[in-house]
Amino acid sequence: MRFRRTGPVGISTDPEAFEAFYRCHVEAVTRFMARRVDDPHTVADLVAEVFVAVLDSAHTYRSGLGSEIGWLYGVARNTLSAERRRAVSELRLATRISGRRLLDADDLSRMEERLDAESPARRAFEAMAGLPDSERAVLELVVVDQLSVPEAAAALGIRQGTTRVRLHRARKALRRIPGVISPTVMEGLR
Amino acid sequence: MNFEERLLMELKTEMNERAARRPARGPLRRRLPAVVAVAGVAAAALVAVPMVTGTENAAYALTRNPDGSIALKINEFRNPEQVERDLDELGVTADVSYVKPGKKCAPGRFSTIGEPRVTPEELRSKDPAVRDRVRKAIENTPSARAHDRMPGGGLRIYPDRIKPDWTVVMEFTENEDQTSGPEKPRALWQYLFQVTDGPVKPCVLVDDPSWDAPIDPLKNPEAFPPAGG
Repeated sequence: MRFRRTGPVGISTDPEAFEAFYRCHVEAVTRFMARRVDDPHTVADLVAEVFVAVLDSAHTYRSGLGSEIGWLYGVARNTLSAERRRAVSELRLATRISGRRLLDADDLSRMEERLDAESPARRAFEAMAGLPDSERAVLELVVVDQLSVPEAAAALGIRQGTTRVRLHRARKALRRIPGVISPTVMEGLR
Repeated sequence: MNFEERLLMELKTEMNERAARRPARGPLRRRLPAVVAVAGVAAAALVAVPMVTGTENAAYALTRNPDGSIALKINEFRNPEQVERDLDELGVTADVSYVKPGKKCAPGRFSTIGEPRVTPEELRSKDPAVRDRVRKAIENTPSARAHDRMPGGGLRIYPDRIKPDWTVVMEFTENEDQTSGPEKPRALWQYLFQVTDGPVKPCVLVDDPSWDAPIDPLKNPEAFPPAGG
């Protein structure tokens, strides 16, 4: 599924390359947001925001630094944390494309299905809330978003060694909290 | 169309607008009036249509509607002969030309039925009463009655208003600068749709100076119909 023909460098100017990139990743980005936000309208807004950010920042992609999905999840994380910092009204003003305006009834029910499917992940995030930010970020990407260690390192802009150390620490910390994380999510931790 | 498709269209529009804002790129942006009439004998209804870039891959789509009308949606300006053959199967004799920007088929290659009696002065008139009369005269010609523009781009053809021995002459021109969208509507292509009961000579290209004439959207708001109109 990974999009390899053209790196993200060309996607901000080449409509065909952008469309291929978008079609390849829109579902992953939607699910990424559905694991972290429980309102379908906000998910739609954030998905729109992520792809606008892709247009803004495609020039920051360096093929050597990690996979495309790692880079894209980095963009998605930045978009989400920017959204959390800003007031909602500010977000509406800053968003050039309103995602929620594009939702119809069918889209809403599909979005709700994804939100339901991702609810264990949202519970896992709550359980991870006590971890230090740096460790939690790695754990999120590797365990919940299923990125490889190099991909997570690319998403966070840190070295792979550092990523492994943080992942290890986070796993150890979470093992001491039995029953907080559902077994399916814990499978990835062993 | 679902959320993902609509978002993709919005994003492509955003890309186009960014490309348009980028300096020193491509040819001068061209804007075309919604209704341009060729002065003199052939007052042709030449209409510019803004179109949001779609995702379809086919060069064009022809569909028969339940009411008997035919929807013609052109996505790419190639293979006009095939459009003619497909229209023929649907009972419409057509002569279709795709013309490069800045060119047009030389006038006088066919004789339009029911030319509106409108003078060039009346076409340029700012008097609302005159404009209204001109609009009605153009709208009531057999050519205008035989087709409509579809919302979202494309033409709707009414075969029951086209007599069996008539030929529909269509000329399409696509703008080289394909930047348009709901927020900044702009003509992406223009077309001519005329019916004739006589022979149609082949299209001989001549320069179309009107294509390059800049049009101020404030002075000519009718030249910028809302997207999809």
